[in-house]
Amino acid sequence: MTPPTSLADILPHEALATGGSRLGSTTGVLAPEAIVRPESTEEVAATLGWAAAAGVAVLPFFSGRRLGRRAFEGRLIFLVTDRLRGIEIYEPADLTLTARAGTPLAAVSSALAANRQWLPFDPPFVDDRSLGGLVATGESGPTAAAFGELRNHVLGATLVTGEGRVLRLGGRVVKNVAGFDLLKPVVGSRGRLGVITSVCLRAFPVPTEDRVLVLRADRVADLAAAASAIRTASLLPVSSVLISPADVLGAGAALLVRLQGARPAVDADQRTLEAHAGVTFDRASDMAATLRTARDHAASGPATLGVSVLPSRLAQALEAVADLLGDVPVAADTYLGKVRVAVRDAEPAAAHKLCERVQALGGALSVRVGDRADAATAELSAAASPPSPDEAALVAGLDRVFDPKGVLRPCRR
Amino acid sequence: MTTAALAAPVPAALPTSLVRALAEIVGKEHVLTDPNRLVVYESDGLTAYRAAPRAVVLPGSGEEVAAVVRLLHGEGIPVVPRGAGTGLSGGALPTPDGVVVGTARMNRILEVDVENRLARVQPGVINARLTEATRPHGLYYAPDPSSQSTCTLGGNVAENSGGPHCLKYGVTTRYVTGLTVVLAGGRMVRLGGAARGGEVPLDLVGLFVGSEGCFGIATEIEVRLLPVAEGVRTLLGIFETMEQAGHAVTAIMAAGLVPAAVEIVDQATILAVEASVYAGGYPTDAGAALVVEFDGTEAGLDAEADEAEACCRAAGAREVRRASDPTTRAALWNGRKKAFGAMGRIAPDLLVQDATVPRTRLPEVLAKITEIGERYRLNVANVFHAGDGNLHPNILFDRNDPDELERVERASKEIMTLCVEVGGTITGEHGVGVDKRGYMRLVNGPEEIATMAAVKRVFDPHGLFNPGKVLPDPDEDPA
Repeated sequence: MTPPTSLADILPHEALATGGSRLGSTTGVLAPEAIVRPESTEEVAATLGWAAAAGVAVLPFFSGRRLGRRAFEGRLIFLVTDRLRGIEIYEPADLTLTARAGTPLAAVSSALAANRQWLPFDPPFVDDRSLGGLVATGESGPTAAAFGELRNHVLGATLVTGEGRVLRLGGRVVKNVAGFDLLKPVVGSRGRLGVITSVCLRAFPVPTEDRVLVLRADRVADLAAAASAIRTASLLPVSSVLISPADVLGAGAALLVRLQGARPAVDADQRTLEAHAGVTFDRASDMAATLRTARDHAASGPATLGVSVLPSRLAQALEAVADLLGDVPVAADTYLGKVRVAVRDAEPAAAHKLCERVQALGGALSVRVGDRADAATAELSAAASPPSPDEAALVAGLDRVFDPKGVLRPCRR
Repeated sequence: MTTAALAAPVPAALPTSLVRALAEIVGKEHVLTDPNRLVVYESDGLTAYRAAPRAVVLPGSGEEVAAVVRLLHGEGIPVVPRGAGTGLSGGALPTPDGVVVGTARMNRILEVDVENRLARVQPGVINARLTEATRPHGLYYAPDPSSQSTCTLGGNVAENSGGPHCLKYGVTTRYVTGLTVVLAGGRMVRLGGAARGGEVPLDLVGLFVGSEGCFGIATEIEVRLLPVAEGVRTLLGIFETMEQAGHAVTAIMAAGLVPAAVEIVDQATILAVEASVYAGGYPTDAGAALVVEFDGTEAGLDAEADEAEACCRAAGAREVRRASDPTTRAALWNGRKKAFGAMGRIAPDLLVQDATVPRTRLPEVLAKITEIGERYRLNVANVFHAGDGNLHPNILFDRNDPDELERVERASKEIMTLCVEVGGTITGEHGVGVDKRGYMRLVNGPEEIATMAAVKRVFDPHGLFNPGKVLPDPDEDPA
């Protein structure tokens, strides 16, 4: 079918980037026939409507830095959200903020900080991301232990489906059950259900005391007992992360525990944890740097493996990683049982074996291949745990509802 | 609420052969067809709607649920899932041609995994029982709907139930990590699971929670538990006016405090409670009472309570009471928690409304609700989760008075329209059910409603799970 119009007919000149832009290097081997930078939900809808009619696939992103290597055959355009920028509604007393999807998180954070509020999400490279990108990836980071995952704090979103239909999902109140919760599958959908153009998030007051405690050791295994004891103490820290190697902290490995609240409560919590685990913590001297380390550790590199198990199986999962991959950088969220593993030159066979071991522990393995990875590394993707056939069938059903023409199939992985 | 919906149609009896086949699956005593026994199932907590089911089936396991659904759907008979029947939106209202499948017998806690702070339960487990069972391990289940001593976790999953402490801890969906569900035709499917983390392509668990029985029946639920807080402080602020109480809430939230709960009851509610057996000693001449609760590490609590008390006094509280022990705390909560029960005795019928508005719009919305109540000559008592803007204007009425019933309906619609106009929504925690189908178009456009309908078809292609709920009729005029 021939498209009814060309992109130039439906979009203003400014929304059509010329080729050879800075984006070329960030998306691996893809060759888009156009790069579209819409400025409004309407322009996004027009673009997707055109693509659906023209049989052209669309890959949406903000910076492209976190897309990873992906291959695609067929006609393709990039839809870059960087011009969908700006905070739309922010009423500090309501603790909610609505902003367009291409608003950098750093801008959102500084607006909130001016009112002593924050977003308690700390996935890798959080400062680099856009609001829409955060929601599309659905990554929360270790603070989810105390605050709950990001999915619980996205109150509303505007989504443009694969056919260019505009859906306004949720709202801007913290409790809302007016119909089926279509927002939940959108959070973390990585673009496969549609392009997010606006998001309403719940914000939180900044606590009076925010402290990061550090426990150092030569090896991760030396910290496993303390991590486990802290996890079963009768209080819930904001996060607890095990990293290795921990060169920046002058150790082979480190356990970083974050506490927040009123100062007397944080002091008491620290004493409780130390008594319970039989350890004495150091205080992080440069808290911002330490938090950044915990957040971003093992997240860059040619490929990242994500191991998910029940927290009680974490030590076994870490053992499996060491057995099969050797001394690779790891960051483990000891509350949620999630381990991030940076791999380089890994044999696909080892990754497959790791997947088997993790699944034998009841868990799952995910794989993210960086955009600068070579073709051999890209093969690691095949080691990821698949969804069950039943879940896959439901997911395919949702794909048909939100994207019947498969316009967003470059996002389906 | 629509008056037309109040008439109870007479259902056709199930064929004897089908009753026998159902009995073979669940046991004869668990298939109810005697009209006298079916009366109990004619409505849920929203008693204004009543309809007799053709039969009620009470399976004892997930496998039995699957077999029952397979059999009924095979005959093209709709299934209406039901927990304890405490819902307040008519979600468990029988459909004329349908069979109610109740989860009451599936009431086992299958596993409490203390180390991972998880529990695996059957859907008929009563909400409060899970906390009772896990408290000896220092753990509890956070969502606490007012009906928690009777409502079931399966029902909570269907409705995505809230509760007073959801201000700090979030609603049901935050705690559900995995589900086993029976879908159309009796297909049993496992979704998610804490061990797998978020490593699934789409959040199907989150989509299923709050689907109000329209997608299927949850037969096993995995939930996250929290450690019991070391200490609790509860404050009761007594105010001359609702406006003062509202200002106190704004000040508390603006101070950066994170209360576990912030609840307000108005004078009409105080009067109802104090005249009942639940009397908690609230002064009956007060304009509003505010309950604020903090929990967490003991060492920080007094300072937080002091700060909240200062906010109350600055806003004009004439009295602030405090509690840190369970007995005194229960007394302070009584006026809030027993509000619905107390109202039951002062009017034949009670419509428990439910809407959410941005918190900063609460004072103006409350003033307008008062005005609407006066204009329609109705007795409206307000109870609400002030911290998250979730209102429960309760309308007291007599459904045998057709004129009053019509005024209730018109006032409800005006209240809903008002809440949506200020940026809110038509239901915060009770669900749409049958009651609010007519209001769905106030907050959802045609595209959103069409997409919801299409998503329902992914789970339930032939529309045999809880038909006539949540989604408005395609040909219905916008509300």
